Amino acid sequence: MGIALFGLLRKELVQFFRDRLILTLILWLYTIEVVICAVALSFDVSHLPLAVVDEDRSALSRSLIQKFAVSETFDLKFQETRVATATDLLEKGDATMVLVVPAGFEGALLAGKSAQLQLLQDGTNSNIAANAVNDALQIVQRQEREALPAAGKKGVAVPLIRIWYNPDLTTSGFIVLSMIALAGMMVGVIHPAASIVREKERGTIEQLLVTPISTLELFLAKVTPTLIMGVLSIFPSLVIVRVFDVPLQGSLLLFLVLTAIFLLSAIALGVLIAAYSRTLQQALLLSFFGLFPLMFLSGGLTPVETMPPFLQSLSLLSPLRYYMDIIVGIFLKGAGLAVLWDEALALLVIGVTLFIFSLWVFRRRVQ
Amino acid sequence: MKAHRLGALIVKESRELIRDPVTIALAVIMPLIMLFLFGYAVNLDVEQVAVGIYDLDNTPASRDLSARFDSSRYFQLEQKTTDLRDLESALQSSTISMGVVIPAGLARQLLRGDEAPVQVIVDGGYPVLGRLASAYAEAVIANFPAPRQSAVRVQARVWFNPSLRSVNFVIPGLFAVILMAFPPLLTALAIVREKETGTIEQIYASPVTSTEFVVGKLVPYGLVAFLEILMVMVVGFAWFQVPIAGSPILLLTSAFVYVLTTVGIGLLVSSLVRTQLAAMLITLIVTLMPSFLFSGFLFPLFTMPLALQLYSWLFPAGYFMEISRGIVLKSAGLEAVLPNLMMLIVYTVLVFVFAAWRMKQKVA
Repeated sequence: MGIALFGLLRKELVQFFRDRLILTLILWLYTIEVVICAVALSFDVSHLPLAVVDEDRSALSRSLIQKFAVSETFDLKFQETRVATATDLLEKGDATMVLVVPAGFEGALLAGKSAQLQLLQDGTNSNIAANAVNDALQIVQRQEREALPAAGKKGVAVPLIRIWYNPDLTTSGFIVLSMIALAGMMVGVIHPAASIVREKERGTIEQLLVTPISTLELFLAKVTPTLIMGVLSIFPSLVIVRVFDVPLQGSLLLFLVLTAIFLLSAIALGVLIAAYSRTLQQALLLSFFGLFPLMFLSGGLTPVETMPPFLQSLSLLSPLRYYMDIIVGIFLKGAGLAVLWDEALALLVIGVTLFIFSLWVFRRRVQ
Repeated sequence: MKAHRLGALIVKESRELIRDPVTIALAVIMPLIMLFLFGYAVNLDVEQVAVGIYDLDNTPASRDLSARFDSSRYFQLEQKTTDLRDLESALQSSTISMGVVIPAGLARQLLRGDEAPVQVIVDGGYPVLGRLASAYAEAVIANFPAPRQSAVRVQARVWFNPSLRSVNFVIPGLFAVILMAFPPLLTALAIVREKETGTIEQIYASPVTSTEFVVGKLVPYGLVAFLEILMVMVVGFAWFQVPIAGSPILLLTSAFVYVLTTVGIGLLVSSLVRTQLAAMLITLIVTLMPSFLFSGFLFPLFTMPLALQLYSWLFPAGYFMEISRGIVLKSAGLEAVLPNLMMLIVYTVLVFVFAAWRMKQKVA
């Protein structure tokens, strides 16, 4: 086994580093792609265009509107005098929220009566809408506490909210991490698939099979470069992570080891795809088929908690789901193996099972 | 353009398409998979966030507060602990997304009429979840033990999607994404395949003109694309119960224009490259990626840096997304969608003119 395997591995590595296209693609996925996504994509709810109709024109209404204007969530874009013109803005999509302060607002409050405020929110994007309404209510409450202190708040519970791991609740750090996880998945699947199918397409695989090399050696030689490359590619993305101020709280070594275990499942999927496809086109289409659901069920795009129960159970099969928890845990939360052991174990079980299965399929299909 | 030659070409292309079961399966199954994944998985309505409670008070009042979290539809009591370290490691391993610490003396403070602080620790690692969870937790605690009396009554009304259902927002956007995912790819591959296998030379040598050749390719693939959108629309409205506020006819008409845009892009790509692999990579870069990331599908455009906003204007998916969401959610009429529809028409014409010019150069 020794010498033949060594020779074959050398051939694979040489081939790998000569293939400029694949190298560029990998580097692109781990760096530029991560940066573009982190800059462009955000679930942050900020700078929502706000239209205000102030029918009260009092000190209190002005101070309330000022609070909205300086908030992170809203940008005061329009000050209208008629409600109808403001709602037109909402209809056209120029404003996503309209705040109406009716006449007599300050008067009612100073007289100790209750006063009404009207909020109209564009609900098209339900996530933005829910957050915007919540934030608006908080601003109003803050204003009320300031303007009308001691308004009978005896014997009440007061929430003190603390956000851990990411105090500003920005999404860019999270997106950087999830894009790195996705890149690992894509490279892990596509690279072995492409390198095996290419030999099939060109017929060179037959030449390899007539040599004394065993299928096990061939299999190992095909998957090792991806494993090495997949782990090494983490390093350029560590730089990107720094740029976006994502801390590495936990242990880098643990992360590299768990990445290697995660790559086992990805590579196994790649080999399976290669075993069942005859052309590169088929292999790419099949990878696309497989990667899409895996990506969705990982929690990297949307939280798993918000999915319906059957998808949540299905997501337990996706190695990417555990890897997401691991990458967020190690980078943001400083989690160690003591905390992440169950995710690591799940990855190991899925990875080893898939790996053995793919070896079995590879042996049967190639011969 | 001769009718009989064109007819023969369309028949040839349709046969080729039907005899390729992998492609047919791809064209039919993939959009449905995408529809179901997006319809179910892209749900930003937070419910049942896992909560851990560390109750130092352990009085009827503190248990009442725990019960309020459990009975709220936004939270689910996952863990009750008597050790702060348990809460910490549960947060680290993402078993819970939020921890509530009820300090000793809560009941006493409430009885005395003081303010009683309750600490909430939110996992910021998953920011979308964290934001909503902290807002809901604040509401639960602020209304304990009795609903807070507020002098200002805020009357919040949500327009266009009053139930705030995510699917109502996701499905109409998905029409634009799905049509960008497959028709351009299939069209491009169909033409480039002839280049790769060399059969295109035979076409050039025959009396078939390049216009006939292109139209012959576009008709069957355009038809497939149109059937795709019909299928996705029917399933979206029937299965996911997304109500259409506006006119379905207007939606279908705009969809027809958009179908032309998508096959046109496939045609343009095929005129630029020689191999199927290159065609595939380029279509992914110019169609699927931007229609998913830079169309406002999930990620709002106005939060992006200006340069990327300008970049997003280069791709047609965003225009159709606005049309489709406008009609479905806001019951927009022809007037309201006209600017975006005009953009699509101009875009399509430009794509076709450019592709035809490239094709002519090749033939000559």
